[in-house]
Amino acid sequence: MTVPVGAYIAVSAVLFFTGCAGVLVRRNAVVILMCVELMLNAANLALVAFSRKYGSIDERGSVFVIFVFVIAAAEVAVGLGIILSAYRNRPVVNVDEIHQMKG
Amino acid sequence: MTFDFVEPVVFALLSIGVIAGGAAVVLLNRITAAALLMAFTFLCMAGMFVLLGAETIAAFQVLIYVGAITVLILYGVMFTKFSDGPRALLFQRQTPIAAVLVAAVAIPVALLSFSFTSAPPRPGGGDLPALATSVFTDFAFPFEVASVLLLAAMVGAIVLTRRDDPEEAAMRRRR
Repeated sequence: MTVPVGAYIAVSAVLFFTGCAGVLVRRNAVVILMCVELMLNAANLALVAFSRKYGSIDERGSVFVIFVFVIAAAEVAVGLGIILSAYRNRPVVNVDEIHQMKG
Repeated sequence: MTFDFVEPVVFALLSIGVIAGGAAVVLLNRITAAALLMAFTFLCMAGMFVLLGAETIAAFQVLIYVGAITVLILYGVMFTKFSDGPRALLFQRQTPIAAVLVAAVAIPVALLSFSFTSAPPRPGGGDLPALATSVFTDFAFPFEVASVLLLAAMVGAIVLTRRDDPEEAAMRRRR
């Protein structure tokens, strides 16, 4: 492996901050979900890179990547369910206008 | 002739794909295009996993992210109206303070990320045996907990999106 692990971590950091900026800047709930997925994927890249370069034989880091996959799938299913039921109540996906549950 | 230059070149292409795709997801106003570019980003990420020698993870990535999650997001896009409000958050009074705070975190992380040196390469043979051994011995209990979580998420998604239509309920009662 001639590519240093730092390069993978750098790509992971760039993608993580990109997703983070998207979550903060975008107003559409579906796009915010997509940006959260980008952040999770960036974390996965860091986990796999460290696991392959530094891990012992048993690949602990990659196991956590599988759990991240599970969490991401559950998060998208429930998140889209919430977005769709809120949309059915009032047809907006702009998170600034969804404030029915504000106390 | 050696082929040592292939891996850095492939890595450079994949990282350009990942970063450009991620930036496009954040910047594009057309949500369908953003969702498809997110799928492209995930594909490039799978290529990076292959480059790292984690073939199993790459296969899961293609199956779950490119397959399932992208399709779900596309359905979400289709069921809602394509609208995105103005991005008013970018230019506020807190922007300089926020920029300083982000730089305070991001610059040390970026510098630290280049300070790692590679360990010697490991013997080949794929990552599936090690992964499977870990999952079914040390991580057997978290694995079962994850399956319960998936079941709960499935039931929750059905309950959240079920339509309580009064007409339909009345029709069912009449039958």
